[in-house]
Amino acid sequence: MLERGKISALQMAFMMNPTILATGLLLVPAITAKTAKQDLWLSPIWASFIGFMIVFVAYRLHRLYPKETMFEYSEQILGKIPGKIVGVILVFYYFHVTGIIVREYGEFVSGTFLHQTPMVVIFSTMIIVSSMAVYGGLEVIGRCSEMIVPVLLVLYLVIFVMLLKDLDTKNFFPMLENGLGSSLKGSVVLQSWFSEFILVSFFFPYLRDQDKGMKWGMISVFSVMFYMVLTNVMSLLLFGKLTASLTYPVMVAARYISIADFLAHLESIVMALWVAGTFIKITVFYYVLVLGTAQWLKLTDFRTIVLPIGFLLILFGIWSAPNLQVLSHFLSTTAAFYLLSIQVGFPVILLIIALIKKKRQQMKGSITG
Amino acid sequence: MRRHYGKASLKKIFFLFLILFVFLLAGCWDRREVNDLALIRGAGIDKKQNGKLELTVLLYIPKGSTGSEQGMEGSGGGGAMQTLIRSAQGNTIAEAMSILQEKLPRQIFWSHCEVFIFNEAIAKEGIAEHVDFFIRMPELRERSQLFISKERARKILSLLPPLERDLAEVVRELGEEKIGMTVTTKDFAEMLVSEAGDTAIPWIKILPPIEGQEEKRTIAYITGTAIFKRDKMVGKIDDSLTRGLLWLRDEVKYSTISVTPKGTKGYVSMKLLRANSKIIPKIRNGKWEVVLKAEADDDIMQNTTDLDVTNPKVVKALEHQLNSQLANRVNETLKEVQKDMKADVFGFADAFHREYPEIWKKEKHRWNEIFPKVKVTIASKINIQRQGMQSGHPLISSEKGKAE
Repeated sequence: MLERGKISALQMAFMMNPTILATGLLLVPAITAKTAKQDLWLSPIWASFIGFMIVFVAYRLHRLYPKETMFEYSEQILGKIPGKIVGVILVFYYFHVTGIIVREYGEFVSGTFLHQTPMVVIFSTMIIVSSMAVYGGLEVIGRCSEMIVPVLLVLYLVIFVMLLKDLDTKNFFPMLENGLGSSLKGSVVLQSWFSEFILVSFFFPYLRDQDKGMKWGMISVFSVMFYMVLTNVMSLLLFGKLTASLTYPVMVAARYISIADFLAHLESIVMALWVAGTFIKITVFYYVLVLGTAQWLKLTDFRTIVLPIGFLLILFGIWSAPNLQVLSHFLSTTAAFYLLSIQVGFPVILLIIALIKKKRQQMKGSITG
Repeated sequence: MRRHYGKASLKKIFFLFLILFVFLLAGCWDRREVNDLALIRGAGIDKKQNGKLELTVLLYIPKGSTGSEQGMEGSGGGGAMQTLIRSAQGNTIAEAMSILQEKLPRQIFWSHCEVFIFNEAIAKEGIAEHVDFFIRMPELRERSQLFISKERARKILSLLPPLERDLAEVVRELGEEKIGMTVTTKDFAEMLVSEAGDTAIPWIKILPPIEGQEEKRTIAYITGTAIFKRDKMVGKIDDSLTRGLLWLRDEVKYSTISVTPKGTKGYVSMKLLRANSKIIPKIRNGKWEVVLKAEADDDIMQNTTDLDVTNPKVVKALEHQLNSQLANRVNETLKEVQKDMKADVFGFADAFHREYPEIWKKEKHRWNEIFPKVKVTIASKINIQRQGMQSGHPLISSEKGKAE
């Protein structure tokens, strides 16, 4: 096995939280508000079903092939050549998606704080840090998240609490003005975020407490849903209809905090949350990409390709979009189907084929036996 | 052994390189030193004769450099001058800002800009285009407050307030007191995208300086509200009508009301402790109505009549009078703003949208016709809670009261 480290199920749950939330928190309210209007806080609840489902699918696949990741068992399920083709699609997919995440990070940092700094520098600094974590392996990433994530989650709640006095519950109404339809439509984009939970399938084989994997996977889906609902409620109650026209509602919300004249200008907290969260997110994706590539190429050690892939990720970050407008247009339109087809479509098909195969084997077994 | 030594030195070289990178990081592109920044505290926008707008900024001068900055533009008042103002013209604020930068040795820094003052002439043309800049510009904060004035914004910003650090601070603090309306950039944008889209911004005026004092040694204060149809100013209401507006918007925080009880000549003044109001929309047989439900608790602050305000009956009568006074106040506001200016700054449209989403969808386009005809009924309930520290016998004797 390439990865010798082991993590606990709790560490995995901590890891998954920022992996979904980091980019989600800033962009989600504005994107969902465009279609769901004042029902935007319902959308994460609908979208989380995909999350629960995908964790379940990943767990079932894991039960069938307990020691392998998706790159490995896709070859077993589909056969050598089709399995390799699926592998190459997955590798390129993760290249692309990680590139987009790197770009989102860069866009936010340079759009709100470091306007003059070249994007490449912002990308590279993050990639260098992430590559160190990836180099350290899964255990390092797991421990990093165990340290960082609880702080993030608590700080985020603090922001919400400090905004309470500026929130106006009137903005909730009229609830379900256009029926459930609009909030369901709004959830489509969110589903693509929740579908990223397929990443747990790469961690299941390395869990110390394998039987708890499912439980903690589900808990982390729930906590992600909770935070997304909280974010959407916060932006809705603070900005009302304005939510849809802001680029980063949460950022503006944090800036809006002003308590007793001196506790103000808290956007640096959001920045810290975002950078720390995105660090985990990029590292997790980066790690899966490196591990997957190594498994696909049947390398003996994944550490040799960490830096080359990191370099490529910087390039993918630059290539992924010409500007922010194109990036957010892509994220709120095509990306949903792109991400869903690979992160949900693939595993589901794999599971179905695997189950059929197993059935057949059992039948064969019973016939010969 | 030798190999081991080689590895160690390689590691050392690697770390040396890492440390060298740290020096590179110090030269970040977005590095800004505090002594290179021009901290903007407030900005004003005026209309020039040539059709361009004039952006005036109020800059904060950090202590220590005050002496050397004497004699600069705007430093009319003696003593420790902490601020200076600069102006530039342009077609947009962004353009004016870059022209302004030419006149400033330090880099413009917007993060501490707390107030924006618009001249009436600009307000009448529409200010949404300028607010776009306030929201789009990453440095600006959405909590900055907006104000409208008849005087040139430049003139207001150049005042030298005796009590606070600078004018922006004065106006901001006045806004925070919430005696009149308080409108932040975010509030304004929110009102603009609401169902009706009509807005209101507090009106400020220069307080005449005390006799003998220098002309500039004064402040601007909030008095009344400018009413906007969408983003174009259509009129102005005074302080007392603003109270009515606040009641309708559920923004009443502080107020003192005096009433003259029947059969007396003095006043009973009461201080508002807390107030709550709610607008309840109703559509009955195609008629659009609104009920304003208001609740408030008051304390008696002063009594210049011979009435015994400890007597529950007297209190009841006073409460009754307060209620009708509130209704009058609100009706006057409605007459002016709803009937004459036809601007829905009360949030009626949103209230109807919340309560009757189906009907609203159909009738939305007719809102401009419906709105002036919406009938408003006021159901208020004001409680007088205590009579204050002075109880028992009124100091003013009934004889004196009669004699007057």
